[in-house]
Amino acid sequence: MLGPTVAAYLVLSAILFATGAAGVLIRRSPLIVLLALELMLNAGNLALIAFARQHADSGGQVFALAVMVVAATEVVVGLGLIVAMSRKKVELDVDALTELEG
Amino acid sequence: MSIDTPAIDWAGLSPYFALLGGIVAALLSSVFLRGPARNAAGFAIAALALLGALAAAIALAVVDETGSGMIADSLRRDRLADVAQIVVVCAGLLAALLFVREPDAGERRGDAYALLLSAVAGMALFVAANDLIVLFLGLEWFSISLYILCAVTPERTRSLEASLKYLIVGGFGSAVLLFGAALVYGASGKLRFAEIGLAGPGSDRLLLVTGLAMLLVGLAFKVSAAPFHMWTPDVYQGAPTPVTGFMAAATKAAALVVALRFLTEAFPGEAALWTITLAVLAVASLAVGNLGALVQRDLKRLLAYSSVSHAGFLLMPVAAGNALGGRALLYYLIPYAALSVGSFAVVAARERELGRAVTIDGMTGLGWERPVHGAAMTTFMLGFIGLPPTGLFLGKFYAFSALYERGWTWLMIIGAVFTAVSVAYYLGVVRAIYARPVLAAAPAGGSPPRDTAIDVAIVASLVIAVGTFFGVDPLIDVVTRAVADLTFPF
Repeated sequence: MLGPTVAAYLVLSAILFATGAAGVLIRRSPLIVLLALELMLNAGNLALIAFARQHADSGGQVFALAVMVVAATEVVVGLGLIVAMSRKKVELDVDALTELEG
Repeated sequence: MSIDTPAIDWAGLSPYFALLGGIVAALLSSVFLRGPARNAAGFAIAALALLGALAAAIALAVVDETGSGMIADSLRRDRLADVAQIVVVCAGLLAALLFVREPDAGERRGDAYALLLSAVAGMALFVAANDLIVLFLGLEWFSISLYILCAVTPERTRSLEASLKYLIVGGFGSAVLLFGAALVYGASGKLRFAEIGLAGPGSDRLLLVTGLAMLLVGLAFKVSAAPFHMWTPDVYQGAPTPVTGFMAAATKAAALVVALRFLTEAFPGEAALWTITLAVLAVASLAVGNLGALVQRDLKRLLAYSSVSHAGFLLMPVAAGNALGGRALLYYLIPYAALSVGSFAVVAARERELGRAVTIDGMTGLGWERPVHGAAMTTFMLGFIGLPPTGLFLGKFYAFSALYERGWTWLMIIGAVFTAVSVAYYLGVVRAIYARPVLAAAPAGGSPPRDTAIDVAIVASLVIAVGTFFGVDPLIDVVTRAVADLTFPF
């Protein structure tokens, strides 16, 4: 089998996951935060597909396909919320969403 | 050419069909109907679908002598799943009653019923999960339904804000869970729980243990166990109160039942590790929940912290890792779910009466103005402490026995100490209920019309909470049979 090893894919997916997690924790715009969430889910997908190849098992690929659908759904809901909030002229900054803190 | 049709277990899938049919009917009715007819139809459809699912789950719980797999063994049909589905569906029924007069939902109530059914269906699938794919899909199905349900009153900024916060934190938890699932799959090469357990750690124990840790973190987000609870107070406060009541009761029940099944089946070899991890999470939740609740004024936030502390109590029997712990978890969940929905129902009723968020002071005089609500709320608060006559008294006793059997006296002592702490804030609510009203708190425009639905929900929760105390023998029989199929490590 030519090409990078499974370990290389795993390292890449770990880096993607860490980037996504950092994005969720640090960035303030909800749009970027949603993007970072997608990155985390897709890091999981990459790991699943790499392992599916290593074990020569199709289960991991099926899992990855299902995750793609879920990820899309989650973003649709997130974007819908952001649209609803911008219509109400709520400031779009996750640090400014403090009406609930008390 | 002939195509082999797979055998489909129609009977085993019947609860799902009832709920899915209900979702379609509720959505269609909210397309074609307008005005009050839409709300009435939505409620009728939701109630019918939930009652149908309840009947199906009860029937399955009666006939399922041994468990079996469904749909290529990806779903489990056994008494554990059946009992968990009964709890979740009952929580859904009570929540549907609370929606009937939710003032902010307006025309959107028809959609709210469809989303509620969808969340219940997702949880019903989640508790029956037998492999990592269904675990993730079930989790996301009910979570996404709940995100939208939180925003079902978009006129309230708080509700949108709570929903976005829940989505971001919940999505983070799910992504961590997914990555953990990928690592476990990588270490074992299997997706089914039992096969992961048989495969063992393989050549790479580090991969398996890291995956297990990430899966536990993902589930801890859903159970709102500390330190993964930070979304709980904000979301519970911001979401419409009927949704909060449902989330508090059903999400916890579903996630804990899944954790029990998944940990005992897939990770028997790592039992020493996950039991101690859960014990640490339990202690953290008890500390954060009880100490946080002491300083709250808003009743929904107080109940949110109380739910974090009960996540600690519920994790204790799972952490014990023995059969007694499994039974204790299921026994504890039933009165706990009733107490949660019931107390949020009283809050919802009071909220509509006052026309604003309910603080502890807002409960002043409730016991004199509305004796039934006051008495019910008092029972719920005493029940949360773990006093008779509610089933939580026996649930706590049972959970402590499981820890004793495991030999973890230290955890029992921590649990007892924090129970004592919790007396302070629960009794604070009771004191407010029976305080003489200082001034008339009624809003301009008088009291809202009498809401029979919410009264029914409160009384039903009360009956379940107290009934689990007096009906202890049959219930212990039920929970013993439910966990009989699981093999416990200790």
